[in-house]
Amino acid sequence: MNRTAAFFRNLFRKDRVEHELNDEVHAYLEAVTAEKIAAGLSPPEARRQALIEFGGAEQVKEEVRAVRAGALLEQLVQDLRFGLRMLRKNPGFTVVAVLTIALGIGANSAIFSIFDDVMLRPLKLPDSARLVDIYQTIHGNVSRNVRGGFNLLSYPEYLQYRDQSRVFESLAAYMPEIGGVLADGHDEIQGQLTTCNYFETLEVKPQLGRGFLPEECSIGKDAQVVVISDSLWRNRYKADPAILGKMIRLNRTELTIIGVAPAEFHGSSIVSASFWAPITMAPQLAKMAGWKGADYLNDENFSWVAIIGRLKNGISLPQARADLNVIAARIDQHTAGRSTDISAESATLFGRPDMRKVALSVGAVVLIAVGLILMIACANIANLMLARAAERSREIAVRLTMGASRGRIVRQLLTESLLIAFFGGVLGLIVSAWSEPALTKLVLARIPDHVVFYNVSSLPDLRVIAYALALTAITGIAFGLLPALQATRPDLDSNLKQEGTLWARSNTRGRMRGALLGTQVALCMVLLIAAGLLLRGLYHAQSVDPGFEMEHVATVNFLLEREGYTLQRAATFNHDLAERLRALGGVEAVVEAANAPLANSNEFSAFKVAGQTESRQMEMNYVGPGFFSMLNIPLVRGRDFSAAEVSGDARVVILTESTARRLVPGQDPLGKQLKNWRGDAFEIIGVAKDAQIADIGKASDLYLFFPAWPKRQLDVKSLLVRTSGPAINLVASIKAAATTLDPQMKIDVSPLHENITQWVAPARICVALASILGLLGLLLASIGIYGTSAYAVARRVREIGIRMALGAQAGDVKALILRQGMRPVVIGAFIGIALCAAVSRLFTLLLFGISPLDVVSFVSVASFLLGVAALASYIPARRAVRVDPMLALRHE
Amino acid sequence: MSESQTNLLQGTLDLLILKALALGELHGLGISRRIEQITRGTFQVKPGSLFPALHRMEEAGWLNSKWGESENNRRAKYYALTKTGKKQLGAEQQQWERIALAITTALQTT
Repeated sequence: MNRTAAFFRNLFRKDRVEHELNDEVHAYLEAVTAEKIAAGLSPPEARRQALIEFGGAEQVKEEVRAVRAGALLEQLVQDLRFGLRMLRKNPGFTVVAVLTIALGIGANSAIFSIFDDVMLRPLKLPDSARLVDIYQTIHGNVSRNVRGGFNLLSYPEYLQYRDQSRVFESLAAYMPEIGGVLADGHDEIQGQLTTCNYFETLEVKPQLGRGFLPEECSIGKDAQVVVISDSLWRNRYKADPAILGKMIRLNRTELTIIGVAPAEFHGSSIVSASFWAPITMAPQLAKMAGWKGADYLNDENFSWVAIIGRLKNGISLPQARADLNVIAARIDQHTAGRSTDISAESATLFGRPDMRKVALSVGAVVLIAVGLILMIACANIANLMLARAAERSREIAVRLTMGASRGRIVRQLLTESLLIAFFGGVLGLIVSAWSEPALTKLVLARIPDHVVFYNVSSLPDLRVIAYALALTAITGIAFGLLPALQATRPDLDSNLKQEGTLWARSNTRGRMRGALLGTQVALCMVLLIAAGLLLRGLYHAQSVDPGFEMEHVATVNFLLEREGYTLQRAATFNHDLAERLRALGGVEAVVEAANAPLANSNEFSAFKVAGQTESRQMEMNYVGPGFFSMLNIPLVRGRDFSAAEVSGDARVVILTESTARRLVPGQDPLGKQLKNWRGDAFEIIGVAKDAQIADIGKASDLYLFFPAWPKRQLDVKSLLVRTSGPAINLVASIKAAATTLDPQMKIDVSPLHENITQWVAPARICVALASILGLLGLLLASIGIYGTSAYAVARRVREIGIRMALGAQAGDVKALILRQGMRPVVIGAFIGIALCAAVSRLFTLLLFGISPLDVVSFVSVASFLLGVAALASYIPARRAVRVDPMLALRHE
Repeated sequence: MSESQTNLLQGTLDLLILKALALGELHGLGISRRIEQITRGTFQVKPGSLFPALHRMEEAGWLNSKWGESENNRRAKYYALTKTGKKQLGAEQQQWERIALAITTALQTT
């Protein structure tokens, strides 16, 4: 017989095995007895002696069972059966514990699965393990033009990697996002410009038509073709089966539709794409402001493409990196002082290293926050388990005295908590599958409309399930181990007698409960204060005076450059549109501006004060006359631009108060001159009061206003319209007026204060999450506090009765109970406050000028939490003093 | 049996049982008595140690067991060495001799 055979025999023929063991033991006993009789003892005496020598038949059998093959499995089955029975016996406890765990694990796996979807999951494409995202980071003093991110590459660089690398089956480049305005000017869709091997590289087969042909990407050939997404095809063309060959007009360029991508394909970046066009069409399609002169396809120093490659079979990532690094070193040789780091990682939706870093740290913070919730939940259940262990201490003591080992009992108690954790975990996965779409919706609802994100799939993958299972196991041990060790502490004697001496104050069990309670309160405090701070920051951002007036101002936004306008046409358009708007009823004034306040578009250049040597990067804006009075920004010195200065290319500039203070401290700036990098001098004619034009929450640092000269007419991206009534009422008529001028142009009209939304979007997401988590934590912690307090009261009914009988006043008793209940809470609260003060600097950026140690948030949240805690422990205390002393004394 | 004997037994019980069975099959009590005899009374194996050891060794394939008649016509379970058991005895014996030699040498070193 070998061990495997024995294992199965023990498992399936248990009766026979047991029977045989019994026979063997008895045969042995009889043999010993016979030996004693032969030695001359009387049969009864011989039997007695034999039994003594044998030493307990049951123990011997138990020892044999413990070494038999499969003994662990057998014990596990026993433990599980016993555990289930115990859980069924206490349905109240079981339900509360399972639900608590389910909430904790559900919240955690929901957040993790979003994180997983975006950051970890490989693209949902055939054989995606071989797909690699390639980005670069350039070190050294190299000046580059960048469009879309420093980690992107230039097209000539891509060509070198494509032609020289030997580890890729194919290597494709793409511009990750490009806005495309459709013919009628009302819709903007997002798309990607790709090399013509893009679809082959990703192994994506269009459901209709074809992908790109190699010759469609030869420079100078202008292949005006496009592949559209399934959703664009369905929504816009009603799934027209004869779509191929039809024309679509994007950014004023006619393109022929040659294919429709499969339904599940949305491109290779986080922004879901609706169209794909050959990358060689970039000059026509990507005419964005600021890059009019860019040589997309030939400029080595213009970063704008991402690379995705399919590795040859059997090539590992390190091999790929080594290969790419050789080429990078070769490219570095062309430019003195340049050194390039290549990053090559398994392709995900969120590949760009700079964005990834931000997202990873945000993700980590959020995961920690939900982790705190799970910890609160664990502490809660650990507390419940401790209370239950107290009730079961007699049962456990009996088992210990009867010879069960401590390890065996701990194992059994742990099995029980793991069972609870398991049920909680399974339920939690269901909760997460249900709540993830809700969470996604919550996040998406707070992101400005024009950013289109993937619909995150709600099916948890293996990674999420593994994460939830690991959490479950950790959870079960976390809340089960401490009470189990505590319950089996070998002081049999006192446990067998009366549980808890009459005046027992702080035994270890009580201390442990206090510590758990304190932990809960501390964690809860961190979450709630964070939520409070964020909420205050948000309120501040929306209510603070930004230094300019937003009421009764509408913005009209357009991108003339992308629409293919010339400088001449742009000037005419701006002028005509302003005239038409002025003619509308309810419009008081119209002003041109390159960048509307808080529009999140910025332009920088280097300037210095004439006579000084230091030149600094300053933010610039080009505005028409009347800009300052329309926004009610006072000019503290000097005057506004005159109409003649604006139309006459006058070299004048207005700066902000703090800019003036920094450039010419203690002097009158008026009449001084600023020089740009070309040496042109601009006379300072005015100083405007500081305003939060560029960033919300802080006055813009070095900031200059220039006239919106005729030569800058293409840069004008907004008209500001002052209305006599609420700006929102005029949005429709302004839009109508603009559309008659150029029906194909995409024009956005909105009240100025809506510009704030995009600034506060991240804060709103955080507030929503932190509030939900904080309240969840508060709920769990209050249950914990209430439970602990109620339990303490229940255990001390007799003591309270005696106190009352001896003349203690109800108030005294209440105070006593409250004081004892609140002590761990208060300690925990202070720890929580300290913890939060230590970490709150992390989200300074989302506080819009509120201090991370904001007293109002700290004090109000702390008092709120302590108030709830006091209430939770007061209710049982009040019940305690209603106890009739006589009843209480007869209690046991 | 004193504490020190128990400790010694845990390491050597297998070896002693194998050795006791090397001369032929025995039932439980017989093994216990044989060990007592060959160690000149130094080791007395109690059922609490003997039974688990026998079952463990049987499951490991070192021993065979079958029911038979004892010398005074009682039913008893007889254990015998298997081929693996004989090999195991050789191996454990060698190991033991190495340890014993090493320890003796160590103790004699001054």
